[in-house]
Amino acid sequence: MDARLIVKPNLCIGCRTCELACAFAHSENGKPGRSRIYPLDGGFKEMWTPVVCLQCEEAACVKSCLVNALRRNPDTGAIELHQDICVKCGACEAACPFGCTLHDTQHDKYVKCDLCKGDPVCAHFCPTKALVYEPIKVAKARKAG
Amino acid sequence: MTINGKICKAEEGEMLLAVIRRQGIDIPALCDHGAVEPFGACRLCMVEITKESWDGWKKHVTSCLYPVEEGLIVQTHTDKVIELRKTVLDLQLARCPGSPEIQQLAAEYGITQTSFEETIDSDNCILCGLCTRICEEMGFAAISTIGRGHLKEVGPPLKEPPPDCVGCLACAQNCPTHVIPYEDEGIYRTIWDKKFERIQCSKCGKLGITKDFAEALIKMRGLGEDYFDICDECRRKETALTMGRISQWEREVVE
Amino acid sequence: MRITSPQQLEKLRKECIARLDKFPRKVLICCGPGCLASGAQKIVDEFKKKLKSKRIKNFSVEAMKETGCHGFCEQGPLVVIEPDGTFYTKVKVKDVDEIIDKTIRNEEVIERLLYKDPKTGNKIEKYSDIPFYAKQTRIALRNVGKINQCDIDEYIATGGYKGMAKALTKMKPKDVIEQVKKSGLRGRGGGGFPTGRKWESCAVLEEQPHYVICNGDEGDPGAFMDRVIMEGDPHTVLEGMIIAAYAVGANEGYIYVREEYPLAVINLQKAIEQTTEYGLLGDGILGTDFNFQIKISRGGGAFVCGESSALMKSVAGEVGEPRAKYIRSVQKGLFDKPTVLNNVESYANVPVIIDRGGDWFAKIGTSTSTGTKAFSLVGKVRNSGLIEVPMGTTLREIIYDIGGGLQNDRPFKAVQTGGPSGGCLPADKLDLSVDFDTLTKAGSMMGSGGMIVMDDRTCVVDVAKYFLAFLNNESCGKCVPCREGLYQLHALAVKVSEGRATEDDLELMEKLSENIVLGSLCGLGKSGPNPFLSTVMYFRDEYLEHIRDKKCSAGVCRALITYEIDEELCDGCMACIGVCPHDAITGAKKKLHTIDKSLCDRCGACYAVCQRNAIKIL
Repeated sequence: MDARLIVKPNLCIGCRTCELACAFAHSENGKPGRSRIYPLDGGFKEMWTPVVCLQCEEAACVKSCLVNALRRNPDTGAIELHQDICVKCGACEAACPFGCTLHDTQHDKYVKCDLCKGDPVCAHFCPTKALVYEPIKVAKARKAG
Repeated sequence: MTINGKICKAEEGEMLLAVIRRQGIDIPALCDHGAVEPFGACRLCMVEITKESWDGWKKHVTSCLYPVEEGLIVQTHTDKVIELRKTVLDLQLARCPGSPEIQQLAAEYGITQTSFEETIDSDNCILCGLCTRICEEMGFAAISTIGRGHLKEVGPPLKEPPPDCVGCLACAQNCPTHVIPYEDEGIYRTIWDKKFERIQCSKCGKLGITKDFAEALIKMRGLGEDYFDICDECRRKETALTMGRISQWEREVVE
Repeated sequence: MRITSPQQLEKLRKECIARLDKFPRKVLICCGPGCLASGAQKIVDEFKKKLKSKRIKNFSVEAMKETGCHGFCEQGPLVVIEPDGTFYTKVKVKDVDEIIDKTIRNEEVIERLLYKDPKTGNKIEKYSDIPFYAKQTRIALRNVGKINQCDIDEYIATGGYKGMAKALTKMKPKDVIEQVKKSGLRGRGGGGFPTGRKWESCAVLEEQPHYVICNGDEGDPGAFMDRVIMEGDPHTVLEGMIIAAYAVGANEGYIYVREEYPLAVINLQKAIEQTTEYGLLGDGILGTDFNFQIKISRGGGAFVCGESSALMKSVAGEVGEPRAKYIRSVQKGLFDKPTVLNNVESYANVPVIIDRGGDWFAKIGTSTSTGTKAFSLVGKVRNSGLIEVPMGTTLREIIYDIGGGLQNDRPFKAVQTGGPSGGCLPADKLDLSVDFDTLTKAGSMMGSGGMIVMDDRTCVVDVAKYFLAFLNNESCGKCVPCREGLYQLHALAVKVSEGRATEDDLELMEKLSENIVLGSLCGLGKSGPNPFLSTVMYFRDEYLEHIRDKKCSAGVCRALITYEIDEELCDGCMACIGVCPHDAITGAKKKLHTIDKSLCDRCGACYAVCQRNAIKIL
């Protein structure tokens, strides 16, 4: 389904379960991958906010990729970085205004949130439901109403 | 179509190699890369194909370039095909005796030493063409192959620092035998004898892509002039602070 | 003057014939590559000078023609008087005066300039009586040697553009294709693909535009069939292309000429200009609504650019590297559009096929290889030159009847056919018919028409080595089996010729060859090992002799031979001493000379100068 990860910073308690879950969900050869989500200091008292790819409608990463390795998956809604097409130039890492395209130095590749192919583990494990995977229609309706 | 006896589906317009890989069958394809059109230079991905209507006549094709057809019967590891792969690897080993990647691949096919004379101008470039093809695909075409036949090599025009290179390192990163050297020293990066200055994050000083690469991206993709001034880490921190401010406002308004 | 109807063309034809008949007797001077190399230009200049100054009844410098190759290059420079048919050979500048005074003025024949039949010893006056010519059937070369090289009026006078007019005004494109299919014409470049079928498969494709290309790259060493057609009768190429373009629906054509043929480029360009001026090329050809333009594209000196996909890349301005042709170039060719590519000689046959009908052509030759084929017959044969014979003629007929047998009556060893991609055939194959399929079954191929005759003083290992070196050098370098494989195969052949190889090496060469053939991307690689494979098939003993006995019976491989001077024959003339680059020969005047074997490198310089045949190769 075309859906998006909705982030609600006010519910985030900075426990970093999402970061852990993400890293392990993307492990290779037994080694955890680089997490695609980072709860960081929000700048106010008891304020944390998870910083994760917002799957922008007009994404800078897509724009900056000269080999068209970043493409939207219509089923999950995520912009996926196709490893077999990526040439590792680092343009996407430099381009994302939110810093959400990352260099996994352990495995020498560039990674970003792929919404875990339709069932994001961060949302699954977040104890406070600060992360919710919501179909676009529902999200739009919620915003309107 | 059938691959090694197993029936499988393919999409029209796909090449055999993609379908073969989807079945989990591992065949080497050194000159193949998702970012560029298939080339058919290394010949390692060759497979045997036939069809019922061909009455037993067989053909050997490079699977990276052969479009799928209804009713195709593919064999990826026949004796002839393996013999061919062995010869190709044997020849590559004569050309690049010191390359660990070629040594490893050759060993997988049972070849530990080349049967041939080591070639006079041996280096570890296997002439797969990936570096030049990727550079062209990205829009720079800073390097190309020079010369013909056995004396063919990869290099910039006139073997001078290439005017079109932006120091993105895509060539070096995708070379199967890692023979393109580059050096990162301080804020400078040198590749193909060309020196580049890397961008330093205006907040924390972390080094990023080269200034030339950034300029090229800005021009080619219509991004803002100072787009690449801040590094990814600082951007994440900034994003957190921005979202924090919004949340704080929400707190005050709601509560 | 634009010709806008077939009737106008016929009228012009009659006018040209009448103009040519103004001087019924003509002198034809061969200006083909062989004769030019022997000094034909000076003879042309001398004729011009003398004819301008002398006054001869019914003759003038206008009756002199500088024609394309007559074919009998061995006997050049050649001068022919028509319609007498008098054939003068090895003409020198000082003979010109005599030819004009005796033959042209008084119809007297000059005996000493006539061709001498080596079998009978008799002089033959008319070229039509000379076996070299008598046994030929010239269709593709019909005008070469008969007309002024680049003269559209003469071309029209001999029936030029008649086929084109018929196609454009009386036939539909599919009728043209039908005739070509009926004719059975197969690609003369060597591939032998049915031309009619090729045109048909392009014509039906919807994607536009379509292109027509003429392959004038002719890379085989020793082959010059296409060269003489492009230089000596460029209009037939243009006419063939126009007919092809009409049949497949193309409006743009290219002639790809190899870099080493500058005269062909000049003559083709002139022909294009002449034809355009007459309205027979360009917009509204012959008054119809068919438009077709031809451009010339020059090669850069690469044999691999004779391969169709590499050629098309070269025309497009890219590096000439072939691509795997799982999608044929007739579908995705020049600029990725449907393209018909044919050889020069193929196009040269087309006008005649359309004019006289496909059935007429199909009656010549054999049932599966119709028509004729041009060959460049070279090597140790007596009559070397360019010939055209019906398909199905045997090797024996070509080499002995037309070629006059081997020089010095030495024993025949092998004939190399089909250029570097072909192979060597031994004496017991001499009765094979020369066509697309028979020679291939025997392990060689007809190819584009090269035929190199070898005698017992030719070493097959050396021949294989030569061709492998050539192919290795010309490899584009894209795929591993060809680039690395041919390199290694050549290195091993060198080893054999130097007596350093083992029988394991021979086995390695055979295995390697098999895989090069299987794994190469294009024809160059796939047929690359042929020089080795065909020689080892028929002359395996010779290879083993090099390997086991370290001997080269043909006396060619330098590392395995020694030079000695025969006591009985040496007359002490000191000629060899003078030419030896290593000062290896000692001896006084009129005394026996001796070669110091430790200094001698068997370069052959002494062998070449010794008038007494006293240098022995052991």
